[in-house]
Amino acid sequence: MRAVWTASRAAVARRRLQTFVLAAVVLVCSATAVVTLGLMAAVSGPFDRVYNAANGAHVMAEFDSSKATAARIARTARASGVEASAGPYPVAVLRRPTDQGGPFGLPGVFTVVGRDRPDTAVDTMKVFSGRWATHPGEIVLDMPQGFGGARLIDQETHVLAPGGVDLKVVGYATSVSDSAGGWVTPAQARDLGAASTQMMYRFRDAGSQAALTADMAVVTAGLPSGSLTGTGSYLTLKEHLATGPNTYVPFLTGFGLLGLIAAVLIVGSVVSGAVVAGYRHIGVLKALGFTPDQVTAVYLVMVTVPAVIGCAVGAAVGSVLGTHLVRGAFWGISGNALVAGKASVPAWVYPVVLIGMPVLVVLSALLPAVKARRLPAARAISAGGVQQTGRAPAVQRRLGGSRLPRPVSLGLGWPFARPGRTALTLSTIVLGVTTATLAIGLAASVLTFDRTQEQQDSVQVTVAVGNPAAPSHPAGPVHTDEQLLAGLRALPGAAHVSADAPLQTRMAGSADAVRMDVRTGDTTALHPDLVRGRWVSGPGEVVADSTFWHQQGLSLGRRVVLRDAAGRQVVETVVGEQTDGWDLTSTDWNRFVGLNSTRRATEFSVGLAKGADAHAYAAAARRLDPGLRPSLNTGVGPIEQAVISVISTLALLLVGVSALGVFNAVVLSTRERRKDIGVLKAVGMTPRQVVAMVVTATAALGVAGGAVGVPAGMLAHRIVLPLIGHGTGRDLPASMLHVWDAPLLVLPALSGVALAVLGALLPSVRASRASAAEVLRTE
Amino acid sequence: MPSRVPSRVPADGEVVVRLTDVRKDFGDCTALDGVSLEIRAGEAVAVMGPSGSGKSTLLNLVSGLDRPSAGSVVVGGEDLGALGEKGLALFRRHRVGMVFQFFHLLDDLPALDNVALVGQLDGLGARAARQRATELLEGLGIADRGDVHPASLSGGERQRVAVARALMNRPALLLADEPTGALDTRSGEAVVELLTDLHALGQTLVLVTHDARLAERCASRVVEVVDGRIAGARAVRRDR
Repeated sequence: MRAVWTASRAAVARRRLQTFVLAAVVLVCSATAVVTLGLMAAVSGPFDRVYNAANGAHVMAEFDSSKATAARIARTARASGVEASAGPYPVAVLRRPTDQGGPFGLPGVFTVVGRDRPDTAVDTMKVFSGRWATHPGEIVLDMPQGFGGARLIDQETHVLAPGGVDLKVVGYATSVSDSAGGWVTPAQARDLGAASTQMMYRFRDAGSQAALTADMAVVTAGLPSGSLTGTGSYLTLKEHLATGPNTYVPFLTGFGLLGLIAAVLIVGSVVSGAVVAGYRHIGVLKALGFTPDQVTAVYLVMVTVPAVIGCAVGAAVGSVLGTHLVRGAFWGISGNALVAGKASVPAWVYPVVLIGMPVLVVLSALLPAVKARRLPAARAISAGGVQQTGRAPAVQRRLGGSRLPRPVSLGLGWPFARPGRTALTLSTIVLGVTTATLAIGLAASVLTFDRTQEQQDSVQVTVAVGNPAAPSHPAGPVHTDEQLLAGLRALPGAAHVSADAPLQTRMAGSADAVRMDVRTGDTTALHPDLVRGRWVSGPGEVVADSTFWHQQGLSLGRRVVLRDAAGRQVVETVVGEQTDGWDLTSTDWNRFVGLNSTRRATEFSVGLAKGADAHAYAAAARRLDPGLRPSLNTGVGPIEQAVISVISTLALLLVGVSALGVFNAVVLSTRERRKDIGVLKAVGMTPRQVVAMVVTATAALGVAGGAVGVPAGMLAHRIVLPLIGHGTGRDLPASMLHVWDAPLLVLPALSGVALAVLGALLPSVRASRASAAEVLRTE
Repeated sequence: MPSRVPSRVPADGEVVVRLTDVRKDFGDCTALDGVSLEIRAGEAVAVMGPSGSGKSTLLNLVSGLDRPSAGSVVVGGEDLGALGEKGLALFRRHRVGMVFQFFHLLDDLPALDNVALVGQLDGLGARAARQRATELLEGLGIADRGDVHPASLSGGERQRVAVARALMNRPALLLADEPTGALDTRSGEAVVELLTDLHALGQTLVLVTHDARLAERCASRVVEVVDGRIAGARAVRRDR
């Protein structure tokens, strides 16, 4: 055993570069494996973990207070099957005025629950900013998902309730069960005219909707008929919350699979290459008297030690990177602070990688090592060089007669000498190019999506309106909406101006509030990228967001019944599907915003004439009214940034792994051809010609890898993108799929050659600097 | 025998190689110490000495494969110490031809392309290079072995291919390091004849050997190297 250890140490010392490359490849592959497995696992089940940790309600029930007293409702907590409960809490409905939307809350209807404490047995809430409402006249608002930790108290100080009741905002909190839009003391809720009672339950059997229905039947068995007015299931919430993370699943699965295949291929290539390159050494060991088992052991130790070190470091790097990416993913996509804060790489990933990677290394080394142990010593020694087999001699002869510069033609012949290694190197490059192409395509699609959502093609300047209810914001405008529209239109460079008023309304047949964007002004000049149908042409028509479209089962021409500004029912026709994020978009300003208000718009969208100076326009808009905050409609949104960040990181990791694989292959090749290079230098090949020869050998594979990898990446993009759409429950506009144009294809097309040259450059320069005299003396 | 005499032959008597107080160290070991030597055009100099005496090191310095630790090496008027890596490569390509003990042919290429390669590296077209290589192989009597890869050639044939390669660019100086050291007697004899004929045609020749018979037959002067120093030199007298 001592001899094995000594021989292994000597072999490692002699092959420092190769050992380093092996450790580096295993490190990057392990990190990639941790990141991809972590992301794939994290997106598949964060909801349950977070929901259970916060004792989220399995069912949130609302009872008619006139039919069941609070005491009777409280007794339902003792029904069989109930594991825990919270309530009863009085529920009131407030209407936030249209000119009083806070920084996060939309004007319109929202539910306020009278609850004396946040840390209840069910729906344990977290107060992120300020404190809980403990006195009448105080309110805690639901903190929108994605804004955890910030001090927000000064963002919105008061909520005006009907009857002139002024509620002071004392805190912001998040309910994992999404139980209300705000919380006050129970007495305050009753004073606000609470007409219903909220009760939250956790059940022993909550695995399915059927089980929950059965549980609720038991709970409500003793209550008067009709007292239960509505229920909300955590399964519905789960489906809703999972929409964001689901965005990640298809492309993470795609990237994850690519990463794992790359890791297996490259580790296999590096390790088996190391063993094959050591055949001569194996022969010498045998000649010295090492038994076949000892020879195998030497090689296993030689590759396993750096691999284990690389794997351990890689897992640690992957843990840091993976946790960061997982949190970033949930923060950016789901926007859920609770989910994002607790998201991490699952623990099972580490043993899988820490055991799996060394096992992969050992298996990769075992096959060639077992083959080598069977070889007689003399044959093992002679097998260490480049063999002239197959078509290699014929190819070299043909290339020798070509008009190509001789270093180039010599390099082009190299890949044919070791077909096995060439295949592995080629597959490594193909993976790298496929990954780069897919990443570029996805990033382009995400940017297209962002540009589509923000209508950056038709709107160049957005002008936000100050909110007088939010002291940290600038004061509100001094002009009315109508005056602002006219004023902004009159500014030099303006081609069209429209005003936005986001609000909340109700749709008949749906329990959820509908988030609506109402526009006025030059709305026909807007050209949103529709999935299907057409843009609204006037009152009575709405365009639906794709997610809302699918949730509500909408279709073109479908009529929906909405509540207008006065609370009356109005019928609207769905004429299009888009991806702008608002449930519905209408241009019927008077009907939904109201005739009486002079200031409702929260934002103006300005399209500029061709050649107009956007900066000059923004400055002019600022001068028009001190309450306006103009900004250029450029840049990338936070969600898109998060997606592109994850895509870029994974792509860089995989391309890096591929480059390392190429690097290793070239190191092995130049090592095997050390004598040839020495001879060529001796007969007058210049260092630059040596570099050209070695780089050509790999660049040829880069060209081939590009030719295969680019279409493969485009195909993967074509497959993955609709899956992303499916995961998010929305259709994607065709512009997101058709992102490929000539300039965008240049980068992936060159990436194969770039990858090959990147991997080959250092070893080729190293080879060109080797002393020919020393090589010829030792070979 | 080669059909053409190398074209870049300096005038007879002109100093082709001048080593001045050359020292070469390998770490703590000094391989050559204070070596000064002149070789004139048309000479055939045999460098002799025991193993490890510094013969091959001397040849590597003259061929520009290695650089001296001290002193100067001037070959064909070119101070090799002043040349960069590219300059040395071009020097080797144009001024010298090397024949090694173990042939050092490229296993990937057939004999013809091994020879043609040197011309192609210098920008000669494939057809012209192969034409010249064929002529050289014909001159050496192995034209029929041009398509054969080195692994299938005999030792003598390989060394003839190596000699043809060395002559491809018509070098002023032919350097041979133990050219018969890896050959059987018969093949060695053929190579000796070949080198003798080349010298007779005016080729300046420096060969490293510890084969006294080879030195006597090929060389016009024998230089003895012992422990990294020139221990002596003598002219070879022969009746031809």
